[in-house]
Amino acid sequence: MNNRVARCVMFVTPTNPRFIDKAWTRGGDVYILDIEDSIAPAEKQRCRTLIRESIAKANKGGASIYVRINKPFVDADLPYAVWPGVDRIMLPKTESAAEYRRVHDIILKLEKERGIVPGTIELYPMIESTLGAVNIYEILTSAPRKLRSMGGGGGYDMAVNLGIEMFASFDQYAFPQANVALAAMALDMEPTGCVFVPNPSGRVDQADQATQQASALHAAGVHHAGALHPNFIEPLVKGLSATADEIAWAHKVIAAFDSLTDEGESVGMLDGKVVDKFENDLAKRTLMWAADCAAKDAYKVRAMERAQEANS
Amino acid sequence: MIKQDETRDLTLAGDSPMPKYIRRSVLALSIDDTQLGDKAYASYADAIILDFAKKANVDWQAESKARMPMAIHAASRGAAEVFVRVGCDGVVAELESVVFSGIAGVVVKGVTTAADVTAVASVLDSLEVSRGIPRGTLEIDIEVDTAGAVWHALDIARASERFGAFYINEPALCKNLGMQTTATLAFDPLEYIKSQLITVAISVGGQALGMSYPLSLTHDKVDDDTVKKAVRIARDTGFKGALCAHASWIKHCNAGFCPSPEEAAYYVKVIDVFAEGLKRGMASVPIDGKMIDVPVDLRAKLYLKWANRVQARNEAKAVAHR
Repeated sequence: MNNRVARCVMFVTPTNPRFIDKAWTRGGDVYILDIEDSIAPAEKQRCRTLIRESIAKANKGGASIYVRINKPFVDADLPYAVWPGVDRIMLPKTESAAEYRRVHDIILKLEKERGIVPGTIELYPMIESTLGAVNIYEILTSAPRKLRSMGGGGGYDMAVNLGIEMFASFDQYAFPQANVALAAMALDMEPTGCVFVPNPSGRVDQADQATQQASALHAAGVHHAGALHPNFIEPLVKGLSATADEIAWAHKVIAAFDSLTDEGESVGMLDGKVVDKFENDLAKRTLMWAADCAAKDAYKVRAMERAQEANS
Repeated sequence: MIKQDETRDLTLAGDSPMPKYIRRSVLALSIDDTQLGDKAYASYADAIILDFAKKANVDWQAESKARMPMAIHAASRGAAEVFVRVGCDGVVAELESVVFSGIAGVVVKGVTTAADVTAVASVLDSLEVSRGIPRGTLEIDIEVDTAGAVWHALDIARASERFGAFYINEPALCKNLGMQTTATLAFDPLEYIKSQLITVAISVGGQALGMSYPLSLTHDKVDDDTVKKAVRIARDTGFKGALCAHASWIKHCNAGFCPSPEEAAYYVKVIDVFAEGLKRGMASVPIDGKMIDVPVDLRAKLYLKWANRVQARNEAKAVAHR
């Protein structure tokens, strides 16, 4: 439901009952069922067989479901990953248009076989290498498959490829992340990354880090963030939603701009700030985002209530 | 040598060396410098770039041809790799005058398009044959000093398999971009360009060399701590070495553009903890709140290899200095 709202996208390991069985209670917008790096080689096959039931477990609380497959094992992984209820397949370490297109073709075949509207499962190329970062535009335009949002170009694997120690006090991924975000925006996708927030400790479990991250992303107009620990969920969901003040201001701007238009003007002032078409469009986007978040939150509440009833 | 369990399986770390070259410190010297050999030998630089001048009223080509073989020999005494710097304008005549056995490659300045690189590669193809140099071995490095080189960086890096590295000549680049060359800003105005060149170079299997702001621009003679910190930032940016404005930078570049002993010890711990996790069926385990998974384990393995290659390079230079 409404997979545009992905304020907190959290990885979950299907092979660990402690994680997968509780995921629905955590309140995340999206869970990524991981077959890749969090799964030990000896556990891969068992993990594949758990994906279908894990979809039903993880989305009980109204979350959307993505599946991260293994680049070297796409043929083995995809038959276990493409099911109704999956919104997105994540292809790690994508570096070329050819490999993206190939995965698109396999998904297309599986969609047809499994009663899924062809082309509706998103295919997200994870950009985790310099080669992927420079080839991003060709990758994104190589298959006729929808993709609402796109980000990346940083993270652990990119650090390996760049030969850097992570968690410096400055933006170590300035070009690759911006290049990916620019390509996404040029193709009318929402950018999901490209905002630097220092994390000198390198820890992935601290809620205050999530709060800072959400604040920086929100200020930049980005509404998506990833998480590796449940402590990130609440700060990200809250921090990336439109605030009551923002919603009230957006209503005022739209009303002021409507008045200007009625008077035949295009630029005016409101509380000392310029009101024009740009600000009006921005206000409309804020309200649209607020409505999307409200719908997602209401959906999650209803789903959570149903799940709790079923459990009791 | 970095202590490492000899039985440790590093095969997962891949076959491609990272970084491609151990070229932490590069020093430019003129072939007119009467102390060229002594300076190169004493510097302990990983690589020496030889510069030559086109003197007026002199047959500079004949002079270069006569002097360059000796200069190359002198520069390599300390086990440094030797390069010759040439300009894009009149590059054919320059290459014919300076390419001799003993150089690892050429550093080309003034490049603006991929065609500039293919032209250089074509001349090197011929010179390798005529001068007894193994075919395809001469490297082309690009000194980035123009907007064109930045804009066409990907095409330039992909123009020839000989491409090895980008050097960023920030004073020249700033002039070309119409920017001041005084470092008065609180931030690095070329941060994005540096990240771009590093990304592009690595995407084709090469690397980028540069220093962090403001030393990259001012080339000031500063105290050791300042240089050490600048090198650390440059390494964390993705540079694998720097062209040293002063010989005093070299020891800091040699020490800083590679994993430290403390980092190597941490990588050993990472590998051990991750291996233990795998035995328990866990592919993601924490160390002090940091997540250790496949890419972190891979990075630890790659960096241990890197540390050992650095150690081998240091030993080769030590042998040359005995």
